[in-house]
Amino acid sequence: MTDARIVGVGMTDFGVHERPLMELFAEATFEAFDDAGVSAPEIDAFYLGNAMGGQTERDTHLAPTLATHVGMAGIPCQRYEDACATSSNAFKHAVRAVEAGQHDVVLVGGVERCTPATGLETPEMTEIFATASHRQYEQPTGLTFPGVFALLTKRHMHEYGTTEEDLAAVAVKNHRHGTHNPRAQFGTETTVEQVLEGPVVADPFRLMDCCPFSDGAAAAVVASEEAAESLAGTPVGVAGVGHATDIVPLADKVDVKATQAARDAAAAAYEDAGIGPQDVDVVELHDCFTGAEILATEALGLVEDGEGGTAATEGRTALGGEIPVNPSGGLKAKGHPIGATGVAQLVELTEQLRGEAGDRQVEDATHALAHNLGGDAATTVVSVLEVAE
Amino acid sequence: MSDDELLTHQTWADALRDGELLGQRCPECGHETAAPKAACGRCGSRALETVALPTAGTVYTETTMSVVPRGFEGPYQVGVVDLGEARVLARLEGEVAIGDRVELEGALEVDGEVAPLFS
Repeated sequence: MTDARIVGVGMTDFGVHERPLMELFAEATFEAFDDAGVSAPEIDAFYLGNAMGGQTERDTHLAPTLATHVGMAGIPCQRYEDACATSSNAFKHAVRAVEAGQHDVVLVGGVERCTPATGLETPEMTEIFATASHRQYEQPTGLTFPGVFALLTKRHMHEYGTTEEDLAAVAVKNHRHGTHNPRAQFGTETTVEQVLEGPVVADPFRLMDCCPFSDGAAAAVVASEEAAESLAGTPVGVAGVGHATDIVPLADKVDVKATQAARDAAAAAYEDAGIGPQDVDVVELHDCFTGAEILATEALGLVEDGEGGTAATEGRTALGGEIPVNPSGGLKAKGHPIGATGVAQLVELTEQLRGEAGDRQVEDATHALAHNLGGDAATTVVSVLEVAE
Repeated sequence: MSDDELLTHQTWADALRDGELLGQRCPECGHETAAPKAACGRCGSRALETVALPTAGTVYTETTMSVVPRGFEGPYQVGVVDLGEARVLARLEGEVAIGDRVELEGALEVDGEVAPLFS
């Protein structure tokens, strides 16, 4: 079995893009091609992440369409749809295909358009996002996606004493990080007071506890160790990938605040990589809501259970702290174009491990971890990247 | 309750409209659910028994949603009610908090879909 490498990455700015999906995708893809030093004929297969194209774009056969648009027609293509974990699931399969010797050079791309400017208004998008909850036993209550994470977070607050100020600290931190990321949707700082004054979306979440609707694309070229040696791109090693799921609907989960799928996926990824959480230098995790980041820092073993809130408030998870989380700004400030998010996390971590992250660089980072979840935290993919030897 | 037939969503929904909350109990692992399945969500056993769930319990977690999907009018409260061995996601009324005692009041019906209503 060979090891997999990321040899090239690219992404669009995240935010509002008034152009078709294929053009967004091409921008990210060509940036990744150029970074890797490859062209379309050298790509053996294409793994696409797109979660909502059928509902938002009225376009359901996207992989060959997008492949054709960037000159890759003819190769095997497949689209992955796994709620917000869509493109990290595509990445996992690309890595496994390379490790198995099935393909040598694979393009993984994610793309989505979610803003009112390019698609549907907030009530319709809220309805579409809610389709990631159970059709029969959750959607009829009128549960929204912020509502799903509010239910998880309220239980955490009840058991551990996590406060709304702790939640706000996550937003403040990630907005501060986002000011150092030119691709971020939000490039301005905020304060705890501003977060706490925002309108309620689903208590305890106010507007600034929630990530924005975003348009964007991200791409990565994954290659075998041998193929990577012949390419110009600076490779980053894929040390481990873990993928786990939990019970749906959320009422049936053993412990809603534990986010068990993240614990299981992280355990698999750490074992695969031969490291533990104490070895991780930088983390991009799925902060779709501020409470989601607090639960994830605990599930990944970065902080003790119950300390996720205070860790944020005390700056332990900030750039310069003991374990920097979401230096890109995370979903909260960078943005969350659903199908692009998982690969965008890998774009950030590749740049971090190459030492190319500019003002948000974590110094001497050798191990990086990505955590991408889908649905009511029922799907989680955890990936560990490392400086290539 | 008969355990001859697997509890379907239709039977669950019809019972809820009649003021009864049906669920399933797994004889293998003891897990109970208010969201009927073809096999136990915890252990995979297909030997599920249909049971009448308690109609009173305590609020396990809750949220009040102000921004709501198309077809709904907010704000309203949704929560998970702990019924002992089972938990159920329900619409809540009366501004209840975690730990509060609530009882099944009936069913909420939206576009032909039904959800439990507790207060």
